[in-house]
Amino acid sequence: MAKVKAGTDREKRLQVSEIHRPSAFEGALWAVMGIKDAHTVFHSPSGCYINQHQNALMNDLFEMYTSHLSYGDVLHGARETLEKTLQKLIAKGPPAIFIVTSPTVEIVKDDVEGVVEKLDYEKSVVIHPPIGGTVHKGKEEGFLSLISLMDEKVEKKEKSVNLIGPTYSVFNWKADLEELRRMLFEIGVSVNAVITADSTMQQIISAPAAMCNICVYPFDCGVTFAQKMQEKFGIPYLADTIPIGFSESARWVEEIASFFNLGVKTYLKGEIENGFRLIRSGSIFTVTFETPIALSLENHNTYAVGISHFFKEELGIEICFAAVGDEEVGTKVQEVSGNVSVSPTIDEKRKQYEETSPLLIMGNFYDLKVSKDLGFLNFLFADIPTISFLATENGPYMGFRGASYLIQQVVNQVYINLFIETKGEMEGQISLGEVRWSSSAENALRKIAEMIPHFIRTKSVKKLQKKAEERAHQEKSEVTLEIFKTIAEEYTPTRFKTKFLEVFEEDWSKLPFSMEWDEEAREMLYMVPSEFKAKAVLGTEEYAQKHNYTRVTSQVVNEYRKELGF
Amino acid sequence: MPLKSYEHCCSTMQAMASLGKIEGVIPILHAPQPCIYEIQIGTMCCRPSRLLTMGTLIERGEIIFGGEENLKRQIMNVYHTYQPKVIVVLNTCVPQLIGEDVKGVIADLKEELKGCKVTYCDTGFKYPIAMATGNDVCWASIVDIMEPHQRMDGSIGLLGRSGTDAGAFSSLTTFLREADIPYFTFPASHIDEMEKITRAHLLYPIHIVPYLTSKKISDKSSALVNYSEIPSGVEGTTRFLRSIADQLGSQKLHDTVDRKEKEIMPQWENVKVTFSKKPLRVLHSGGPASEFSMGKILAELGAEVFLVPTMKNPFAKKEREMLAERYQVTFIDEEFDTLSDLLDTYRPDVVFTEFQGQIEVTPRFTPAFINMMYLSEYGYDFALDFGRNFHEAMKSPVYRKWEELLKRYRGNAYG
Repeated sequence: MAKVKAGTDREKRLQVSEIHRPSAFEGALWAVMGIKDAHTVFHSPSGCYINQHQNALMNDLFEMYTSHLSYGDVLHGARETLEKTLQKLIAKGPPAIFIVTSPTVEIVKDDVEGVVEKLDYEKSVVIHPPIGGTVHKGKEEGFLSLISLMDEKVEKKEKSVNLIGPTYSVFNWKADLEELRRMLFEIGVSVNAVITADSTMQQIISAPAAMCNICVYPFDCGVTFAQKMQEKFGIPYLADTIPIGFSESARWVEEIASFFNLGVKTYLKGEIENGFRLIRSGSIFTVTFETPIALSLENHNTYAVGISHFFKEELGIEICFAAVGDEEVGTKVQEVSGNVSVSPTIDEKRKQYEETSPLLIMGNFYDLKVSKDLGFLNFLFADIPTISFLATENGPYMGFRGASYLIQQVVNQVYINLFIETKGEMEGQISLGEVRWSSSAENALRKIAEMIPHFIRTKSVKKLQKKAEERAHQEKSEVTLEIFKTIAEEYTPTRFKTKFLEVFEEDWSKLPFSMEWDEEAREMLYMVPSEFKAKAVLGTEEYAQKHNYTRVTSQVVNEYRKELGF
Repeated sequence: MPLKSYEHCCSTMQAMASLGKIEGVIPILHAPQPCIYEIQIGTMCCRPSRLLTMGTLIERGEIIFGGEENLKRQIMNVYHTYQPKVIVVLNTCVPQLIGEDVKGVIADLKEELKGCKVTYCDTGFKYPIAMATGNDVCWASIVDIMEPHQRMDGSIGLLGRSGTDAGAFSSLTTFLREADIPYFTFPASHIDEMEKITRAHLLYPIHIVPYLTSKKISDKSSALVNYSEIPSGVEGTTRFLRSIADQLGSQKLHDTVDRKEKEIMPQWENVKVTFSKKPLRVLHSGGPASEFSMGKILAELGAEVFLVPTMKNPFAKKEREMLAERYQVTFIDEEFDTLSDLLDTYRPDVVFTEFQGQIEVTPRFTPAFINMMYLSEYGYDFALDFGRNFHEAMKSPVYRKWEELLKRYRGNAYG
């Protein structure tokens, strides 16, 4: 088995790359801001507060406050500023106040606890996220801070569980939670508290009433918290199964049922039968067996493990590339994919998308941007950051309905865009009569056909053939290699272009290269129609020389394109 | 101090967004991870995907022992990878706090960076109140490393507010072109274009933001700075253009403005009639200085405008005096804890705010406009279009519909 490609060392961090992974500060804030009736104060300069509040408001509705630290406060101590802020909030009488410190406060080590002690408001909790910690570490700190507020004498609730893990700003938490609640309800188990999204302080305080804790995102956060609850309140926890896909959802239900000694055979029979009805329909396996998918889920390790196994094992989808958050998760995903990277840079991902030509990419906003740059049509959001992506309770990825919804989304994306991509026309000639093909053109068509995924092969080949014959008919010629190449360029979906054009590689030797071109710059030439390629090479090199470049890079090509007004 | 802040972002993010739009410039964010992450995602919608946010201070040790070495390496990375003409180091709260020697790093690398200039600006909590100052300080840092060009007598330099303004000058330059007045604009989409601002004879800021920038350009090129007023609204645009015409003695520009006024005034008067039939109280709770320009349009149309100002530089003071005198705009300087307090006090019919404010305004069924959606507010056509569509854009029936729904099914609308 190939080694998971790791990339978290110091050298890698200093590469020119997108910073798309939130920190422990986000984690701590997200963990507590979802407790609806509590107040969260970010003890920070205004700017940090604004950015955190604005960005998180894109995902969920909540209030958050700040102490507005100024430069002077930081230098001379921010006790007074924090005190004033807390006094105003205490006057509102919230059931709890969470004070999350910012990096600035962590550096100057301001005495936050001293202020809290002085004000003596019983339900005040200070959270110090660790600088350099991950978002998951920050969440864990947030969760752990809740234990001191819990009532250990609360009366136990029969057949009830706490769901640990969903917080604000986690991708799709609301829909997943709704589905897990539904499944639990179906087997007669109630949810005592959610730690923490959309919960109330009373629910948090009464969390020890549950008989069992369930870690919803065990590869991300919540397990340490569950262990602490077990130590303090004697509540056992389940964290081994991720309810993604039909099989694992059923196993998740069985584990919970076994804990409570419940019979769930009839319920599971119904769910699995329902799932299989969907699977049996004509379009599902036709698409999934031929759909390589790339997963970019670095902020959602649980999804990375769950979705990759579901896709591969139950749908026959090839995971042609997976980007994950850490090596442990990489090893799990590698059980179903031979191409796994830990925290690749965006350029490394770009390269992977080009090389592996996935039919669909699942990832975050950066992946969306890159996939659109590269001409990939099929994309599904599955991770943060999403930037203004609206997620409601209606589209779960977890549970039985999550499995159906994922299938629905994947198949619809691929099918709908397939029809658009083949650029089918409503009008056009039915027959041109027999049009001859040169042997080299015929050979090229055959080679290209072999590269097209099976389920779109017939349609795509027919399209290329028809278009090539129409062009030859117009030119009163047979279909030559030149004609076919032009057609292949024009009608090939961008993601296949690099691959397809290998068929015509011999033409590259005819281009008038006199300077050294890097690979990316050369690849940009694929976008230039054949008849203009030589001109493009000459023009670009002339531009490069004029501007004292010694080699042609993608930047040079871009500059030249701009100069031409493209 | 208030309990919340109603600006769109911090000054660093604003600097990042503006610099990120300029070809030939790459900003490096000298900041810890949470800062980089938030700024990265907060600016993703306004920058090309190839433009990356480079971070420097990721781990605790780097913050304790200093991040100068990382900064050096990141500058070299960016230089070798992209060969930009200018690298701007955005020196944020934490490196300022730990006393990072950014100037020293830049000086050390000077010899190694052929054809690339490196500059820096301090952002973050040095400018805690107005995000728009992020623009001013980042433009000023660019001016610092500009080579002055030969001055063109009789030419005008228009100074904008943010990167967005690079595409918004045409509502003004059309008139200058018609009057054969040479002009240069700043910012522009490419650094080479921006440098030409030093050719301008007279500098006309088109917003209150670029105060420091205008001073720096003036120092560099001896151009004269004439702050007239923000050319927003019909009257504001006319006065702005006529101020240039008077300064240059250009009858042609006066004639062009006369012609435009003749064309637009009947329509503008009609819009004013609409406003007089439906009087409005408008609250602008901050904004990236747009509270001045947008408030001005609405005040000219006859709305009663209440305005929480974000900027206090000399340009802002001048604009403020003018708004109060000409349109009786009320400025709100007293502190308030949350926007709800202002809503209770001023009872506006419509509010201009940001998302943090919108969540407080919507439950009152008061129409809310997001400041950041209205950032090309210059010239006649914007004002006319905005005024004509304003009442409809408030979408009051939608708010009423929800009010009714809640009343009927929840028992009360204001629960």
